[in-house]
Amino acid sequence: MLNSELVIKDLHVNIEDKQILKGVNLTVKPGSIHAIMGPNGSGKSTLAYTIAGHPGYTVTGGEIWYKGENILELEADERAKLGLFLAFQYPVAIPGVTVANFLRAAINAHRAEEGKDPKTTAIPMAQFRKDIREQMAQLGIDEAFARRYLNEGFSGGEKKRIEILQMAMLKPSMAVMDETDSGLDIDALRVVSQGVNALAETNPEMGVLVITHYQRLLNYIKPQFVSVMMDGRVVREGGPELALELEEKGYDFIREEVAQA
Amino acid sequence: MMNTTTLRSLAELSDAQIADAARATGEPAWLVEQREAAWRHFAASPPPEWRRTDLAKLKAETLRPSTGASHTAVQWDEALAGTGVVFTTLAAAVREHEPLVRQYLGTAVDPLTHKFAALHAAVWQDGVFLYVPKNVAIELPLHAVITIGSAGQLAAAHNLIILERGASVTFVEEFASPDLDGQALALPATELFLGEGSSLKYVTLQTWGANVYQLGAQRAIVGRDASLEWAAINLGGNVQHTEAETALQGDGAHVDWVAATFGANEQVLLTAPWLRHIGAKTEGHMDFKTVVKDSAYATFDGMIKIEHDSKATVSRLEEHALHLTPKARSDSIPGLKIDTNDVARAGHASTSGEVDEEQLFYMRSRGISRTDAINMIVMGFFEPVLDRIPSEELRERVGSLIEAKI
Repeated sequence: MLNSELVIKDLHVNIEDKQILKGVNLTVKPGSIHAIMGPNGSGKSTLAYTIAGHPGYTVTGGEIWYKGENILELEADERAKLGLFLAFQYPVAIPGVTVANFLRAAINAHRAEEGKDPKTTAIPMAQFRKDIREQMAQLGIDEAFARRYLNEGFSGGEKKRIEILQMAMLKPSMAVMDETDSGLDIDALRVVSQGVNALAETNPEMGVLVITHYQRLLNYIKPQFVSVMMDGRVVREGGPELALELEEKGYDFIREEVAQA
Repeated sequence: MMNTTTLRSLAELSDAQIADAARATGEPAWLVEQREAAWRHFAASPPPEWRRTDLAKLKAETLRPSTGASHTAVQWDEALAGTGVVFTTLAAAVREHEPLVRQYLGTAVDPLTHKFAALHAAVWQDGVFLYVPKNVAIELPLHAVITIGSAGQLAAAHNLIILERGASVTFVEEFASPDLDGQALALPATELFLGEGSSLKYVTLQTWGANVYQLGAQRAIVGRDASLEWAAINLGGNVQHTEAETALQGDGAHVDWVAATFGANEQVLLTAPWLRHIGAKTEGHMDFKTVVKDSAYATFDGMIKIEHDSKATVSRLEEHALHLTPKARSDSIPGLKIDTNDVARAGHASTSGEVDEEQLFYMRSRGISRTDAINMIVMGFFEPVLDRIPSEELRERVGSLIEAKI
């Protein structure tokens, strides 16, 4: 069994000519929920996109290891097939492609094997229909959404539920959730969190990296580890108590500590 | 009844020979005269000055008009004949339904628009005639297939579609050929007449093979409270120049018009759709999609014209182009001419660009390869048009033609 820790070493990332990540070190253990907190502009989302392989982010130094590979050398789709999943902060609309067809294509891409006819590895239609129906019911998504075009005209809450639906169907071994709580009211937040928790329960080996600005989400998705990012670096690490401390004191006390150090 | 007269190549043809051939098949005098007049117009006209349709390589004079409507396949359930519906070749309709043909033929598509329109009117043989009587509704689509069998041919198909008051039907016309080893010219014309309160779903599918030039015309005249759903799919040929028009003539007339054009290799595909609002409270929606790759060049040369007497008009035009490779080109020339001061809503939206990198990244982050993602984005782009194809079999066939092009 390959090591399924996600290990980020001294990661430096630029967007165009601006340095955003300035040496991130982080390890996410399988079966753990790990929160990254930080103020706006600290580089949290850049980290999420870089892990997933967005072509607009230029890695200028460092490594990201997962399952024995430096995934920086892999394309985004190859990383996904290795078991990585990114729940987007701003999911993208794909006009003319239904939720069901999109999911089926993604599942079949995961099931495809080199040298085999994709028809023989594709998920049987009946199985797919059963799975999607079950998962949609669990997430409180109306079945009609399966036939709607992906994210087109969806509300913020609907988009986030569809992200979790994709995660539930693709069963990643390492999920990165980028500000999944942004734009959600408390009811939607509860449903989405329940979905993530249920998934973590049924897939005990799954690692989850929860990126958030606010402590609020962590009342629902309870992390074992909390890392704080500031100005492109991880500046503090701790347990769930760190999130509570941040909630109470704000980010300023850490900012001062960092400045003094 | 097959005509055995063989017409000569255009270089050797004359009005007298055309008239002889027409008389030999028993065509009535008025039609023979129409053909002769059209030929004289063709012979006397200079080539059209089209800025975006290059006919320099077309050697029209060597082509030979096809004869005897031998390239028209009419597909329908003949049990429907009991309802008074007529679906047959236009050549047969000239013999069997002469008064109807005479009343409508050439009244929507003007035979003298340009040199090649006149040539069409002079030599047309192929094509179908569809007549749906008052208040007759037909569920199953009626399908006509126009083909070109070999290089060197000139195929001028004329489709004449007439819906009486309250009639309803789906008509699919398909232009198809294999890849040819030499030039061929298609000069199709389709005339659609929608009587009061009638409803027509019209699907026109162009899948000519390589080396076919198409210079086509389509025109619908939509009567009071009638409703037209028009879906055009343009995939084939070397050069396409299609002039299309919907005239919303009656009050309350309605059109929902979608089109998908996909050019690859060296294809040059032009569509010039005109939407004319003539009656009051007419409503028109146009949604035109274009995809180009390789060195292909596609043009949308559209116009919405709202005439003086049209009141409370609703008109919406969307046209979007997707470029799959850097050398592919598309032009969009939308026009809007309003001669009334009573427009309820008129809008226009247009985009043109490459495949969206954020869409690609989103799909790839789910494990879908770049190739498959582009495939899905293109199919999704065309989906509103493909969705209109009434039969599953045809939809799948068109879908695989598009996928093969991607």
